[in-house]
Amino acid sequence: MPDSKTAFSFEGVHLELGGRPILQDINFAVKRGEFACVIGASGCGKTTLLRLLAGLVKPTSGSVRLGDQTVTAPSREVAVVFQDYSRALLPWRTATGNVSLALEAIGVPPAERADRIAPLLAKVGLTDHAEKYPSQLSGGMQQRLQIARSLAQDPSVLLMDEPFGALDAMTRQSLQDEVLRIASERHATVLFVTHDLEEALYLGDRVIALYSNPGRVARMVDIPLPRPRDQLATREHPEFLRLRRELFTVMEEIHA
Amino acid sequence: MSAVSRIPSPIMGVAGLALVIFIWHLVTTGGMVSKAFLSSPADTLSALQRGIASGELVGQTRATVLRMINGWLLASLVAIALGSLIGISQTARDFLRPTLAFLRSLPASAVIPVAISLVGLGPSMVLGVVVFGSVWPTLLATVQGFATVEQRLRDVAQVLHLSKAAFIWKIGLPNAVPDIVAGMRLSLTVALILSVIGEMLSGQEGLGTAILLAARAFRAPELYAGIALLGLIGLVSSYGLLMAERRIVRWR
Ligand SMILES: Nc1ncnc2c1ncn2[C@@H]1O[C@H](COP(=O)(O)OP(=O)(O)O)[C@@H](O)[C@H]1O
Ligand SMILES: [Mg+2]
Repeated sequence: MPDSKTAFSFEGVHLELGGRPILQDINFAVKRGEFACVIGASGCGKTTLLRLLAGLVKPTSGSVRLGDQTVTAPSREVAVVFQDYSRALLPWRTATGNVSLALEAIGVPPAERADRIAPLLAKVGLTDHAEKYPSQLSGGMQQRLQIARSLAQDPSVLLMDEPFGALDAMTRQSLQDEVLRIASERHATVLFVTHDLEEALYLGDRVIALYSNPGRVARMVDIPLPRPRDQLATREHPEFLRLRRELFTVMEEIHA
Repeated sequence: MSAVSRIPSPIMGVAGLALVIFIWHLVTTGGMVSKAFLSSPADTLSALQRGIASGELVGQTRATVLRMINGWLLASLVAIALGSLIGISQTARDFLRPTLAFLRSLPASAVIPVAISLVGLGPSMVLGVVVFGSVWPTLLATVQGFATVEQRLRDVAQVLHLSKAAFIWKIGLPNAVPDIVAGMRLSLTVALILSVIGEMLSGQEGLGTAILLAARAFRAPELYAGIALLGLIGLVSSYGLLMAERRIVRWR
């Protein structure tokens, strides 16, 4: 049962799109400050789950709750980092301008914007690229920029949809650590979608695995690995290896 | 080849123009065509010099250019405002696009008789026709520019709670700018053509009237001087807009 420690919850959520069941019987709650990872095969409904919470889609039945409110529309408390960063940025605005969009949306006066943009860009390591257009930035930098913009909203819940799926391994690891640092600094609640089991284990306090057709919760596993996490130590931790083995079987089942 | 329209080297263009003038020279001095119908380049040039010196051609050129620019600016304003309102709604887009495409394919000159019967032959009729005819390319381009906004950017706008006005101003219009500028280039050509036709039909001062009178009086050098000026206006304005376009879509 959700209580005051619940950041958001799915309560008996069913969703049909175009007459087809996409998600069925989704029930789970995520605590404030928790880092929850959703894994599942491609097309199983991970993005849709996230869009429900973002208020971009309404459930056919059941309810999605944010704190003690039912989600009926997007909320400023919830920021989204989309998978396709190149499409989610305004190509005609510089990095600064893209972060500014979120500030403009929440009504920050023009005179205060610069002072808020600079630390956000610094946080994601884009200070030297502040005046560049997205087309002049690498994929990793574009995704960092999208993260900076989502933080500008000052959200309490951060939704991330396979944000590093298209990035190379090194960039991916450094962004994973940046996201962990940012989430713990802000005590933000995170729902992080990925199809990469190891990424889910490395980042999460909990992993939620979904079945396909329709999307249902297959397994929920707590990840009691110590924090702060470390790319080498965490991934070699006996518990990490044990959980990987356990969830690997679940993943095989899911993909079957 | 790059996707952005390349600005061609002026050398080739100048060479091509020189060749055309040379052939024109040969045709007229060789006596193949009567001088009453086609004057030589030299006669045309001296008519041009005379007209400029007397100030007559200058005034007519100014009148035509002003008519074209006023009509074009007014048309662009209407097109962008209307296009934004239509473009922001998927329903309005689906509903109106075929109609707009139909109206656009009506040659603006076909509307002139209607305009004459509605507002008579005055300057406002000419301006009205210029606006009506040149509004379509920019209007359709604006609607198109809104239609091509990435679904992801619509999601971003929703997540950020952007108002409709903010969506138009911060996402729809900037996304449409390349289309709008390209549409405005087409509109400018239409505006020039219609200004000239409008002048010819209404007798308002301008190059159109000047050309018509010169043709009726078989004053070929003046006729071709006027035509050369019209060509020059078209060339300069479309080149100017091409340069503006490159500056505006720098971010690509
Ligand atoms: N707007 C929609 N209309 C109909 N079906 C949709 C829509 N959006 C997604 N789907 C379907 O829902 C299923 C889950 O999609 P999605 O949530 O994107 O999966 P994932 O992110 O796990 O790859 C897919 O089969 C997809 O085709
Ligand atoms: Mg997805």
